[in-house]
Amino acid sequence: MIRLYAFARHPGPALPDVPGLVEVPFDGLAALCGPAAEDDREATPEALWRHEEVVEALMRDRDVLPARFGTRVADEADAVRAGTAQAEGLHAALAHVSGAVELSLRVRAREPAECPEALERRLAPLARDAVTSPPGDEGEVLRAAYLVERVRVGEFQAQVARLQADHGDLALLLTGPWPPYSFTGARA
Amino acid sequence: MSDKVLHRPPDIDLFGAERPRFDDALTRRIGADPENLERGLAQLVLTVVELLRQVMERQALRRIDAGGLSPEQEERLGQTFMELSRRMDELRDEFGLEAEDLNLNLGPLGNLL
Repeated sequence: MIRLYAFARHPGPALPDVPGLVEVPFDGLAALCGPAAEDDREATPEALWRHEEVVEALMRDRDVLPARFGTRVADEADAVRAGTAQAEGLHAALAHVSGAVELSLRVRAREPAECPEALERRLAPLARDAVTSPPGDEGEVLRAAYLVERVRVGEFQAQVARLQADHGDLALLLTGPWPPYSFTGARA
Repeated sequence: MSDKVLHRPPDIDLFGAERPRFDDALTRRIGADPENLERGLAQLVLTVVELLRQVMERQALRRIDAGGLSPEQEERLGQTFMELSRRMDELRDEFGLEAEDLNLNLGPLGNLL
């Protein structure tokens, strides 16, 4: 078994200095893989962080479609098979996320509440794409991921700060930039 | 890993079991981890203690400058504060907190310490 970190275009820039990281090319794309380890299934904070570090290192100088932590394939040939089967979708998804990052927004309230339409109305225009998940519990008003161009992240951040000022009854938490985990449309 | 928090709400406590600090968001366990809750609480308590220590220290220094103390009193004050400082370091160590952890971001007012 080997780990799959991400798909990217090929040829691409030189790989970051990560031991064992390899580029497995196919159809103008590459599967970015690394050696698997015994404890790959264990989602410890350290393991999650190591995976994230590799994906973020890749993302510094290329567009990537990140694989979730724990994604493994049998071998490089298997990675190529998986990638080739969805090559067209991968190309489209890479174009979709090109030059953009994922920002995660979570909104909570003391009383169960509807998400004010102002929130999504004022944020949607600043993002290329958005994905909303069902709230995790009663106190959660909104759980969303936004695909935002790198150059607009500051603008988005400022808008969230303004929304917070306008909605004292809510708590807005914005984190990022993250690799575009929610916008890959891919399955490995 | 640089700080991933782009906007932190004033009511951070609404985010429940998650830690007060998100600087290492992925290196902290997410979920109701009793160890983390205790540490978060320790962080708040020690921050208040540190604030008081700094206030007391400044007051004592003002008294020394004003010349209102005998040499023995000054000596004792000095020792006390050294001891307090040392004890703070020990407490921080016990809870795995760095000096920078003992701070509270007051938003527009900047940091507490």
